[in-house]
Amino acid sequence: MDEFQEILQDFLVESFELVEKLDEDLVELENNPEDLELLNGIFRVAHTVKGASSFLNFDVLTHLTHHMEDVLNKARHGDLIITPDIMDVILESIDLMKALLETIRDTSADAGIDVAACVSRLDKITGGDGEVASPAVEAAPVAVAPVVEEVSAPAEDEVDYDNMSPDDLEAEIEKLLQERQEEDKAKREAKIAAGEEVLSAPPEPIEEESAKETPAPKAEPTPAPAPTPPAAAEPKKEEPKAAAPAKKTPAAVEQTIRVDVKRLDHLMNLIGELVLAKNRLIKINDDVEERYEGEEFLEELNQVVSIVSLVTTDLQIAVMKTRMLPIGKVFNKFPRMIRDLSRELDKKIDLVLDGEDTELDKSIVEEIGDPLVHIIRNSCDHGIEVPAERLAQGKDETGTIGLKAYNEGNQIVIQIDDDGKGLDTNMLKKKSLEKGLITEKEADSMSDKEAFGLIFKPGFSTAAAVTSVSGRGVGMDVVKTNIEKLNGMIDIDSEIGVGTSMKLKIPLTLAIIQALLVGVQEEYYAIPLASVLETVRISKDEIYTVEGRSVMRLRDEVLSLVHIGDIFEVERILDANEHAYVVVLGLGTSKLGLIVDTLVGQEEIVIKSLGDYLKGIEGVAGATIRGDGGVTLIVDVVALMSMARDVKASPMGESGGEIAQSLEKTSASDYKVMIVDDSKTDRTIMRKALEPMGITLVEASDGQEALNILKSGEHNFDAMLVDIEMPRMDGYTLATEIKKYNKYKNLPLIAVTSRTGKSDRMRGVESGMVEYITKPYSADYLSSVVQRNVNFKAEFL
Amino acid sequence: MSEKLKQIINQQSDQQNTDLTQLDDIVQLVGFVIGEEEYAIPILSIQEIIKPFSWTRVPQVPAYVLGVFNLRGAVIPLLDLRLKFGLPSKNQSDETRFIVMRHGDDVAGFVIDRLTMAIRLKKTDIGPPPDTVNGDDTIIDGVGKQQDKIITILKVNKLLERTF
Repeated sequence: MDEFQEILQDFLVESFELVEKLDEDLVELENNPEDLELLNGIFRVAHTVKGASSFLNFDVLTHLTHHMEDVLNKARHGDLIITPDIMDVILESIDLMKALLETIRDTSADAGIDVAACVSRLDKITGGDGEVASPAVEAAPVAVAPVVEEVSAPAEDEVDYDNMSPDDLEAEIEKLLQERQEEDKAKREAKIAAGEEVLSAPPEPIEEESAKETPAPKAEPTPAPAPTPPAAAEPKKEEPKAAAPAKKTPAAVEQTIRVDVKRLDHLMNLIGELVLAKNRLIKINDDVEERYEGEEFLEELNQVVSIVSLVTTDLQIAVMKTRMLPIGKVFNKFPRMIRDLSRELDKKIDLVLDGEDTELDKSIVEEIGDPLVHIIRNSCDHGIEVPAERLAQGKDETGTIGLKAYNEGNQIVIQIDDDGKGLDTNMLKKKSLEKGLITEKEADSMSDKEAFGLIFKPGFSTAAAVTSVSGRGVGMDVVKTNIEKLNGMIDIDSEIGVGTSMKLKIPLTLAIIQALLVGVQEEYYAIPLASVLETVRISKDEIYTVEGRSVMRLRDEVLSLVHIGDIFEVERILDANEHAYVVVLGLGTSKLGLIVDTLVGQEEIVIKSLGDYLKGIEGVAGATIRGDGGVTLIVDVVALMSMARDVKASPMGESGGEIAQSLEKTSASDYKVMIVDDSKTDRTIMRKALEPMGITLVEASDGQEALNILKSGEHNFDAMLVDIEMPRMDGYTLATEIKKYNKYKNLPLIAVTSRTGKSDRMRGVESGMVEYITKPYSADYLSSVVQRNVNFKAEFL
Repeated sequence: MSEKLKQIINQQSDQQNTDLTQLDDIVQLVGFVIGEEEYAIPILSIQEIIKPFSWTRVPQVPAYVLGVFNLRGAVIPLLDLRLKFGLPSKNQSDETRFIVMRHGDDVAGFVIDRLTMAIRLKKTDIGPPPDTVNGDDTIIDGVGKQQDKIITILKVNKLLERTF
């Protein structure tokens, strides 16, 4: 059973691959009916599937493919010209074949699909009477045999077999078969004589093989037993021919192995880890470089780091490539689709494919199919005009749709062009107004690009009536959501009467992306670079408020703005700068300006999920681990755009309400003063001077420690005594850092130092110190300065 | 010599067997303190216990979800049990620890005030949760009795369940 399953799996994989190519080949065939190479290829597919399915006892599939094979075989021998009508039947049979294969994949059996109608049509093409019993009804595929006969029979001459009596028919068949057999014999001998390798094998084993593959003729119970042996011999003639090209192909096929996608995914995850480690290594290297500048070992370290980083990047690209599939896999189905659509819509449409070899990540290839189907349907239905109209406009009767894929930087661009009637912005606006998708005001202020973007609105449709092809107003909405899901963008260009061109820009891969890191207050966020159009530095007065929303003027456009802090509920601890940065995000056709405090830079990040516990947080697409080991959230640009609509602008630079000022003092110990000095002696001197007042004292040995104490929020200080010269962080830097916090804006900082120079005092004032005490000082003086600055109540003295 | 060896091996396997039967009746727990109360969770559901380090805030979650942190390359949510249990938040001290718990594929870190110790309790010493907590919704698995005190045993799967 397991063995059977294994074979079945192989069979399915192979069959699906073959069938996928089939559609394209068939449409191509319709244009070049004489192309023998193509015909042979198509025939081989039908034949291979038939052979394998009969071996696996899929009777219905065997039955169907057998008849397809017959038709194709005739065409292959030039006995049949493929007309569009015949092609319709062949295509229908291929659809059935696909459906059967899918049923087999899902249920391991090929029951449940009725192929009788199609088989009888196929049979008619080959000259049969169409009365073919399906194997599902009969125990043995009895009726298949006559078909085999008929394949060869009408090939000889154009006798009307339909009008023959059964006896005549038998006789005729017998006669023809004998003729054929002799012919075959002669041919084979001639070929053996010519030393053809493939046919040099003795005929007996071939007969055995073919009999096994096509059991039908053996079960021949027709009245006359005579035709049986020839009928069995009949396929023998075909087998070697079919086998010959098939045997040649393996040599030409590329050397490949099948790998489970899961393994590739795992490999990709591991590479992700490696990229993170690399980022970290680079960061450490930078730190080390700073600290040990000029040391000899640095150069060596540098070399190693750059080699590791180089190899990691290469490795990443290599693994990414293993996951790449040519986009041709998706393009393949379109020739068929265009053909069907043009017949259905009575239009003449040519499809021009280009760049099928362009490669994309597997997961993207799987996602891109649907959007393209919708766009192409749309182009066929709305874009290309009917032939009469085209002629009237002086265009070629046949419309052209171009489907093109190419690389552009880190992106793949898929371009869909048509030479149809183009998009009429006025009409688009009118329709949208009618459907209530936009307001009149919006319609008036809309640019052409924005108007083109209307076709992506859910519920929008320009078709007057709902047809089977379009008009429901669903399709293009799907396009937009799917493309946005892939972090892609859509660009539309159109000119009335000339045509429309749509560009889908999609990132190469999903797992590792380039991101722009931005900072807001003390937090960092990563924005996928593919969605970033540009960044602008602005000052606060460039931001205007219109109807409660922030906007700014960007060249000749008005850009709506939203502060990243409003989206992610960031607490405004630090005082906002006079300047801010605006990251202009573009998605599909819409744009948004995201206000951030700082731009950190561009970095390659690995997308990690937040896990089940935290999934579905709006605006967050995932997380990544940065070079310093910290976690940074990745912005979900799609969600952010929609969130931005609901966020009310809060004026920049305004803190969230005044922080409750220090509580009413009820005793001297309620006053808290921090002493920051690196010298224990100095701290003790200050402590001694202030202790008599009875106030609470907290000590810190340097700026960093002092800042940490402040940040922890454990104490509410009334003043700080700060030494200037300290390790790790000096007094000036400490003061500057402290003044960044809204909360500590009014905290009195008193410098206590032995530096007496004028410039030192100036720096002190600049960094926000209110008093400047020079060492040595008297205890009374220090005490009085502190009392003055903390508003010490006299009654506590 | 080989006789002796056999004897020893036999003895040891006997001992192991008796150990195993004893193990069946014993539950190993790790005790920790949140606020004033001592709680415990089964030792097997603990992936690791680490000293606190920095985490990244995540928006739009209840206050007890502090954010996410990096555990050797994996991004893991961090929850504050003080806040989850309705206690006021407290600054981290030297005794604060993150307990990383695992149940199936769900992993999360929990901030606790202080670890106590590993506890071995006989199954017979564990009583059902008090009747006042209702049904399956409770995060209390049972109440363990020790000589001088009782310990609330928590359900790890309930702790790891998203409730917002």
